[in-house]
Amino acid sequence: MTDWHVNPELLLDYEQGALDPSRVMAVDAHLQHCPRCRSTVRVDMRWLDDSWAVIYDGVHTHQPKGAERLLRRAGLPEHRARLLTATSALRWSWLGATTAVLTFAVVAANTGAAGARLALLIFLMVAPVLPVLAVATAYGPPFDPMHEITSATPMAGPSLVLWRAAAVVAASMAVGAVAAALLPGPGWWAVAWLLPALLLSVGSLALATVTTLPLGATLLGGAWLAGVGAVAAAVPGGQAREVIFGPSAQTGYLIAVIAAGGLLAVRRRRLDPGESR
Amino acid sequence: MITIRISDLGKRYGATTALDSLNLQIGLGVTGLLGPNGAGKTTLLRCLATALAPDAGRLSILGLDPFVAAQRTQLRRRLGYLPQDPGLYPNFTAYDLLDYIAVLKELTDRQRRQAEVRRVLAEVGLADRAKTKVRKLSGGMRQRLGLAQALLGEPDLLILDEPTVGLDPEQRMLFRALISRLGETRTVLLSTHQTEDVSALCERVVVLSGGRSVFDGTPRELAELASGKVWLSAGPAPTGVYWRNAEGEYRTLGDRPVQGEPTPPSIEDGYLTLMGSDAAGVVR
Repeated sequence: MTDWHVNPELLLDYEQGALDPSRVMAVDAHLQHCPRCRSTVRVDMRWLDDSWAVIYDGVHTHQPKGAERLLRRAGLPEHRARLLTATSALRWSWLGATTAVLTFAVVAANTGAAGARLALLIFLMVAPVLPVLAVATAYGPPFDPMHEITSATPMAGPSLVLWRAAAVVAASMAVGAVAAALLPGPGWWAVAWLLPALLLSVGSLALATVTTLPLGATLLGGAWLAGVGAVAAAVPGGQAREVIFGPSAQTGYLIAVIAAGGLLAVRRRRLDPGESR
Repeated sequence: MITIRISDLGKRYGATTALDSLNLQIGLGVTGLLGPNGAGKTTLLRCLATALAPDAGRLSILGLDPFVAAQRTQLRRRLGYLPQDPGLYPNFTAYDLLDYIAVLKELTDRQRRQAEVRRVLAEVGLADRAKTKVRKLSGGMRQRLGLAQALLGEPDLLILDEPTVGLDPEQRMLFRALISRLGETRTVLLSTHQTEDVSALCERVVVLSGGRSVFDGTPRELAELASGKVWLSAGPAPTGVYWRNAEGEYRTLGDRPVQGEPTPPSIEDGYLTLMGSDAAGVVR
């Protein structure tokens, strides 16, 4: 309520349509909150409310930026893009950190012949872990402070987890693919990390049906680094790359991806915080 | 009308029992949950809000079984939940945050969503703060924003975990008025450490201790547990719980002190009588 009221002459001009638009809007705004002035003038309150609602929404509505704009341009519905870009791993800070790590590996691989082979191996070992780290932060505590509220909404559960995981894996892999293209040397080594990355990501989600997503991702990412590190230390020279990323290993990764995907499909309901484990 | 039926509900965290074969029925209106820290209040609310799966027992909420995935989703469409720590994204504006949560609540049509966001912002008195970032809102405003998100979609069941914590007296009064109004047409279940909230808001109060219900009745019935045990006297009592009030008299809960005059018990007196030494955590 206000003590100030529109003077009668101004109200008369308003009623007769004799005011300029800015003054009309000022009177509109006042009428919305002043029953006394409303009672002295003929006004369609429903029209007035609707008009102001449009203005209010226009002023306050979220303006899509960055990743959200990209997702919408890619054809994703507006509400879906909203959901995905609230994920921390789709923010520029995260993508920037991923880019920095991969840039470092690419620069190292391009400097000097002696260290290049080792740097390439390190790149191939580290690149699959980056999407997994993103998956770990995609859903649930401690990375989503609003997880408790999210858990009690109808979108909670497997659908949201998988959408967000897919988005962050896609974003991380896109950055990784650009980095891989800049690697020295030929051929298919540039994409040799993709299947391991997919395996670790899908495997982390499958593990999240028995434990938390961050723990599942950490366990699997850690196991990968420890395993390939041990192989690299045990196998001499350039053979380590062949053992870890060669055709036989890739076949094994593919089989494991299919197995993890199957397990995830069967147990996906357990990604819902309200589901008994 | 009973809207929530809880039968033999159990939840453990390792060796700690949070809910111990809890049985309870809750109806329309505002019901308050009281109890010391660790009594199981938050665990119960999380289970009812479907944010946590119980280990044992049966639940029927608004006629739906949250143990069944499809019914759990239906239930989530009809409930609003304000957790103890909402964790609202600090860099979102109030409007954006509600818009995002409205999407989580399946309000996918943009126009309908905007209308709903506008409605709840007005309901909690934050319409003029829509463009303010969460981190710039005061504690009371953040709490109101937390309540606003729970109101999105006009839920039939509101679950509020300590909704008045951190509010100043004026904000608490406004909050009570709002919750009281909401309780006229729906089920509101709230936990609190404030016995004043219970007496001001709740038609019914449940006291939890050790994961079990140790009292279930009206606030008046809770207060009456201390009937004949509350005294005013000029000097301190030799036994019992006592404190000096604003008038300089000693208020004693327990045996009658010398020249003690009986005085009507409050909810807090009833709670202290019920809980004895376990009552720590409830403040006046």
